[in-house]
Amino acid sequence: MKTLVMAGLIAGLIPVQSVLLPHTAVWGVMPDLGLIVVCLAGLFGGELEGLLVGLAVGWVMGLFSAADLTAGMVTKGTVGYIAGVAGRHIVYVSPGVLVLGLLAASCVSGLLTALVLTLNDQQSLWWALKTVVLPQAVLDGAVGGALYWLAWSRLNMERFVSEHRT
Amino acid sequence: MRMVNFRTPYNAGRLALALAVVLLLGFFLLPNQLQGVFQEVGSPIGWVVSWPLRAVAGIQGGVADFWSNFVALQGVREENTELRKELEQLKGQNSQLREAAAATERLTALLEFKGQEMFPMVAARVIGRDTGNWYRAIILNKGESDGFRPDMGVVTPAGVVGRIVKTTAATSVVLLVTDPNNAIAGLVQRTRDEGIIEGTTSGLARLKYIPLLSTARAGDRVVTSGLVGGFPRGLSIGTIARIDKAEGALFQSAELTPEVDMSRVEEVLVIQSPNLQTDSERSGSPKVKRKP
Repeated sequence: MKTLVMAGLIAGLIPVQSVLLPHTAVWGVMPDLGLIVVCLAGLFGGELEGLLVGLAVGWVMGLFSAADLTAGMVTKGTVGYIAGVAGRHIVYVSPGVLVLGLLAASCVSGLLTALVLTLNDQQSLWWALKTVVLPQAVLDGAVGGALYWLAWSRLNMERFVSEHRT
Repeated sequence: MRMVNFRTPYNAGRLALALAVVLLLGFFLLPNQLQGVFQEVGSPIGWVVSWPLRAVAGIQGGVADFWSNFVALQGVREENTELRKELEQLKGQNSQLREAAAATERLTALLEFKGQEMFPMVAARVIGRDTGNWYRAIILNKGESDGFRPDMGVVTPAGVVGRIVKTTAATSVVLLVTDPNNAIAGLVQRTRDEGIIEGTTSGLARLKYIPLLSTARAGDRVVTSGLVGGFPRGLSIGTIARIDKAEGALFQSAELTPEVDMSRVEEVLVIQSPNLQTDSERSGSPKVKRKP
């Protein structure tokens, strides 16, 4: 059941990411919903779930991107794993902590992507940092924090998560 | 304040670590092979995901049409009616003739364009944009099952859009001509000087390796040279906006304004070049020609 829900979530993620989010791009940069989902999956599900969700999201998103498939899988899988490890050591998470965590995870993911992808001569690491990595990290943090706040304070997700654990 | 994954089993952590190490090693030691495997296996997954993608793209297109046809025009409706009456009084039948003439001109241009083509073309609809921020790419609603393959050229009647870089069973990813990682062989139509066209980080294109003695200037049109890739000769790419001659450089370069507005592309034509290699042909050993 959990796998089906996750598969449905990933399948629904692609249209939102490639059809709707480009209309909300700020200076040509849009938030990476896949990364946010991977971080949350790792944080609340653990290393294994974070890694597997990261690999799956990276793979499917890579099918609809010009980027290398493996690059997306490596970066998102790594981020999911790190989020899982972080989740093991953090007892409580507030929206503020989550925003900072997403900001850091997005920066790590962006820098990894810039290093893994063989970009053109025009696209130096500094260019990548100021035009893609940092703006996307800010957007990811803001969108992730907003989704988290919405899910927990408005949709009573805490009860659902507690029941799921027990 | 929420509690996080306090019940993660220790074995799951070890399994995740082992899996991560194995996959990382695999990705770094066999990147091309794994890329090929995941691309092949992902093709039917791409077909499945293409359904919600098409559905959302259809809804978005409907909303955009509704907005541009009704909502955005509500404020100007009365004014538009008055202007229409005035226009009708002033121009009368002449306006209809102009409309007809413009339509005829458009259709003629399209027919001539089709007549010049060397390879068959298949129409496709743009249903999305690249899922990441690193590349300028669009997603088409047709893929391998329609005969699309990587490296096939993508155009509109106005000019070159880009080339296909990835396909699934039902979708294709097109890297735009304005992406810095794209390279297309082109030539200046007036002077016949050849060069390589690549995108720029500012969203334009640049013609590189123009000979120093070339007389190319701003306003010259640049077309495909047909030497490399899935484009026949003579397809319009853009117009030279500026020539750059660096001190001591062996070549000059030119900044181009693309003919096609990449942010507004909705339908495209894919050039089905028969001489392009498939992925398996590219990675495999060269084929031996058999005697008849």
